[in-house]
Amino acid sequence: MSKNSGPAGVKRREFLKILGASGAASATVGCGSGRVERLIPYLVSPDNTVPGVSSYYATTCRECSASCGVLAETRDGRVIKLEGNPEHPLNRGALCARGQAAVQGLYNPDRLRRPRVRRDGQLVDVSWEEALQLFSQRLGEYRGAGSLGNAVFVNNHDAGSLAAFIDQWLGAFGMPPALSWDAEADVAAIAAHRQAYGVAWPGFDFAAANLIISFGADFLDGWGAVVPQQLSFAEARARLAGAPRFVYVGARRSLTGLNADEWIPARPGSELAIVNAIRGSSSTREAAEASGVAVESLERLRRDLTSGAPSIVLAGGAGPNGAALVAAVAQLNQTAGNVGTTIRSDQAVAGYERTAPAAELLAAIERMRAGQVPLLMIRGANPVHGLPRALRVEEALANVPFKVSFSSYPDETTVLCDLILPDHHALESWGDAQARPGIVALQQPAMNPVFDTRATTDVLIAIAKADPSAASRYPMADYRSWLLQRFPGGAPAFAQALQSGIAAGSVAISDAPTRAVPAGPAPTPIDQASGDFYFVTYPSPTLGDGRGANKPWLQELPDPVSKICWQSWIEIHPTSARRLGVRHGDVLRVETSAGAVEAPAFVFLGIRQDTVAMPLGQGHTEYGRYAAGIGVNALDAMAVSTDARSGAAAWGVTRARVTPTGRSEPVVTTEGSARQHGRGIAQALLATELGLPPTAQTTDPGAAVEGELIRGAGPQEPPEEHAPSPPPGQPPTEFLPGLRAPVAADAEGDLTSQAAVETGMYDPKHWSGMANRRWAMTIDLARCTGCSACITACYAENNIPTVGAPHQTRHTPGVPRMAGGNILRGREMTWIRLERYFEGGVNADEDFETRFVPMLCQHCGNAPCEPVCPVYATYHAPDGLNVQVYNRCVGTRYCSNNCPYKVRYFNWFGYGEPDRPQYAFPEPLNWQLNPDVTVRAKGVMEKCTFCVQRIRESEHVARAEDRELRPDEFTVACAQACPSRAIVFGDAADGRWAVARQLGDERRYHVFEELNTYTAVVYLKKVNHPPADAPVGVPVPVGG
Amino acid sequence: MRGKWAALPGLLTIAATAALLSAYSGASSPQGRAPEQPIAFPHPQHAAGAMNMNCLYCHYTANKSPTAGIPAVATCMGCHIVIGAQLPEIQKLQTYAREQRPIPWVRVHNLPDYVQFPHMRHVNAGVECQQCHGPVQEMTTVYQAESLNMGWCVDCHIQYRARYDCAICHY
Repeated sequence: MSKNSGPAGVKRREFLKILGASGAASATVGCGSGRVERLIPYLVSPDNTVPGVSSYYATTCRECSASCGVLAETRDGRVIKLEGNPEHPLNRGALCARGQAAVQGLYNPDRLRRPRVRRDGQLVDVSWEEALQLFSQRLGEYRGAGSLGNAVFVNNHDAGSLAAFIDQWLGAFGMPPALSWDAEADVAAIAAHRQAYGVAWPGFDFAAANLIISFGADFLDGWGAVVPQQLSFAEARARLAGAPRFVYVGARRSLTGLNADEWIPARPGSELAIVNAIRGSSSTREAAEASGVAVESLERLRRDLTSGAPSIVLAGGAGPNGAALVAAVAQLNQTAGNVGTTIRSDQAVAGYERTAPAAELLAAIERMRAGQVPLLMIRGANPVHGLPRALRVEEALANVPFKVSFSSYPDETTVLCDLILPDHHALESWGDAQARPGIVALQQPAMNPVFDTRATTDVLIAIAKADPSAASRYPMADYRSWLLQRFPGGAPAFAQALQSGIAAGSVAISDAPTRAVPAGPAPTPIDQASGDFYFVTYPSPTLGDGRGANKPWLQELPDPVSKICWQSWIEIHPTSARRLGVRHGDVLRVETSAGAVEAPAFVFLGIRQDTVAMPLGQGHTEYGRYAAGIGVNALDAMAVSTDARSGAAAWGVTRARVTPTGRSEPVVTTEGSARQHGRGIAQALLATELGLPPTAQTTDPGAAVEGELIRGAGPQEPPEEHAPSPPPGQPPTEFLPGLRAPVAADAEGDLTSQAAVETGMYDPKHWSGMANRRWAMTIDLARCTGCSACITACYAENNIPTVGAPHQTRHTPGVPRMAGGNILRGREMTWIRLERYFEGGVNADEDFETRFVPMLCQHCGNAPCEPVCPVYATYHAPDGLNVQVYNRCVGTRYCSNNCPYKVRYFNWFGYGEPDRPQYAFPEPLNWQLNPDVTVRAKGVMEKCTFCVQRIRESEHVARAEDRELRPDEFTVACAQACPSRAIVFGDAADGRWAVARQLGDERRYHVFEELNTYTAVVYLKKVNHPPADAPVGVPVPVGG
Repeated sequence: MRGKWAALPGLLTIAATAALLSAYSGASSPQGRAPEQPIAFPHPQHAAGAMNMNCLYCHYTANKSPTAGIPAVATCMGCHIVIGAQLPEIQKLQTYAREQRPIPWVRVHNLPDYVQFPHMRHVNAGVECQQCHGPVQEMTTVYQAESLNMGWCVDCHIQYRARYDCAICHY
């Protein structure tokens, strides 16, 4: 340092003086920054709750008709998370993404807050008294006119005694029974199941089968009770070498199809021909011709079926002649002896009993159009969005003089109604559901109502009480008393069910007589003239028929197949895309005899060349800020037809003309590449390779250049060979996840002082004992189906903001202002993501394999992110966690750049700041936030914490009870939700934990092991079951 | 030669910016802060002298929950429905109770964001409330007695052999 600082310079002494002066100035500025924070006490402390400690209420999920059991975690009177009820016979503790997202329905900022009535064409808020009086008055008027017999009540299908209650109420007023509508239910299959098996939805025991064949039955996507089906399917896959081979027959590979070992790409509508050929009632040659499938594939299918007993054959009824197809498949099951072994009517899912066929709803709509219906009441259903546009439901509704909606959301149907009496959310109200035959599940309110809504059941009771003729039949105070009165086992069983969620017994589904199926529009054989493509629609695995679209978690959850979110897309085969001259993202126009839709192309291997497909669920014009204006409704281009046998909707497939529009749209996808490029991220082996030494396992095309790139990729190589010598004070290295390499010690302080290393908490002998635990995770890829429930569970547990809503996207030059704009710019936020990789299928005619890999922070023992952080915001904790300290983080993002797994996500905007447009939790969505986890601010990096708050909470509990942690006494949110039971979390250093046992599996591998990261997340390889005589990679014609 | 104080405005600007940033980040400790409360609650009259009530009587979850808990209005009214009804501060309380409004107490001890402080672990380990909160039983107006800075926490954690890894508190 120069003593002479030059003429313009300042001498050192003077510099200090100046610094002192400015320091004093700063001291005066710096004080008094504290914002006033208020502590709001209770007025009266509620009994049996401790502020800051969760209570759990056993109740029932109402997001689909399956009606799984959930435990609602409430903190200080607010539901903050839903978890599967381990005692419930259907979901046994697991919960799907849609079930998790129910809380966003409860706290949806666009929920209707009070009753509304139409005055001069406008819906205006009114008081409940006024609204109920109007309803009573209208009922009286129509009864006076004698027209109540023509009233229509459309109820969103309910698996419990609600249907009976509503029918009873309608009967008291002389109205016909309600129409129990579920747009997602496969009514054709239900009708056929009833005939063949005696129940609407039998239990499918995949684990008991040696072969699974699905004819378009997407049992992992939303076809039936997904969670129990997935639990069973994963059980089956976990049998590894003895697992059943899975063949999927269908025009497109759904999520279910992607999980199949073999795909037989049959022409849409030709499934019946194939089934008939397998049954022997027609020749395989004819079937091959009809379906466009090679004769050999069908022959093999038939051979497999005869040799593979017991098997399980399923069929979806969405196509033309759906019920006939399912019935034919049922006969196949009868002949193969599967009924009773793999198809169990004693384990039926009772939730699908008595769903109304589409024909019934269509007939009601025609009566409305004809002006014969004076009064329409609608609860939870949304036919304006959920039926094909060709039906012109709005016009029919316009001819109904008085329409009452009980919906809590401003959906397309509700905004056309004259009176809205918003219902409670399922988490705010009483109810019950038949889970399985002989087991009733209870639905109880988990919190006080968020808004000024009222349970429809209680509203109906109040209306009846006000009516002189009906009042005598409604002496009960409310619906709870009504339920209690007829609950099997009475009050004691009811009290028991309040605790466990379930009770033995049955609730009568409905007292109303079964009505004959009215004739709907005839099932037209797929019209061959109106185009050269088949146009297939399917319910979205995440949004369902569209009811999930107003929940940002589900909108932001990438579709398990396409990895696209906040958008609609049209799946098209690469060859067809090339023929049309379109690329990924070019907007396609699909024109059918009924209409047209336009959406960007998603070039997808898993679809036939003569088929394009589109998911349902998007294209809302109302339904709140997260749904309206996003994507297009595929039903806009679907013609109306029904299945002749069952009256079920048959608008799953039609013919279409597909043309490029010349426009192009950015595709909001979270996927970088669908291929692994030899990086060995998702590894697999053949069932025949299990138990072989690793050198013999050479068939895995997903593994990196064998032996070279991935050191020790072979599971049975002695790990000691590659493990470095242990650092001072460390136990000898074994194949333990998250072990620290010597270099990692660098980050912990002064290595030159031996004492500093040995007395730290990293020393296993340290009094804290922290280094004796090693939190780790195994993910079994043989079990994982890619369903993505783990992602939503993580969002719910860890206060992860959604970033893609339209209002969160600001205009940036070069990026159109659209939903998902932040994701387009690479600013997605998700601590765990599901990577989906294709193997094979390089030639268009080849079958391919799909691998799903949940990818989260690997909690590396030797983490690349740690040494590059200039402020030590990320470091390796002694118990094996890679910790991100938000307070220290200054947002350089070096860690993310250096992370080989790309699992660190940056807070680009103030997602937690209410005054910013990017605010992710508009009131009351913020009520859901987990108080145990901080909401991260703008400018900090965040990532998976291994649910450290759950680790700490368990430690607190153990400490309070003066004991050690018990093995597997808690788990992380993703593992808890997983309906495949693929994720196991625990202490790898303690052999009593399940995860420690899993680590000995021969299929274990670390992703990017060659980088020496010593990850704490260990994957178990997927196991493939290719057909015996046709290994992976054999050409399968996909052509039209 | 230019004035030796020529750099002062620049440095002042830097200092002011730094001060603002530091204030924004909450790095400075509001030790000694004694905000005015909606009701001038005198801890000495309750927690010392003749009454000598246990802290846990009102802060009843301090030994079983991460949060210590503040008494419900009904808890205050349990006594004050009779006792001291003529005093102006008690009348304030009674107004809150009558109008069924919670009392908007001002938080005195406020930890920065991203810190988790489980009260029950400390209370059950035998840490006196006064060790962090100061002699509350003598405070007519409660003030923040300690800095609550991280170094202050860690000192104690090391002294009493409590784990002091970052992720014990920061998540």
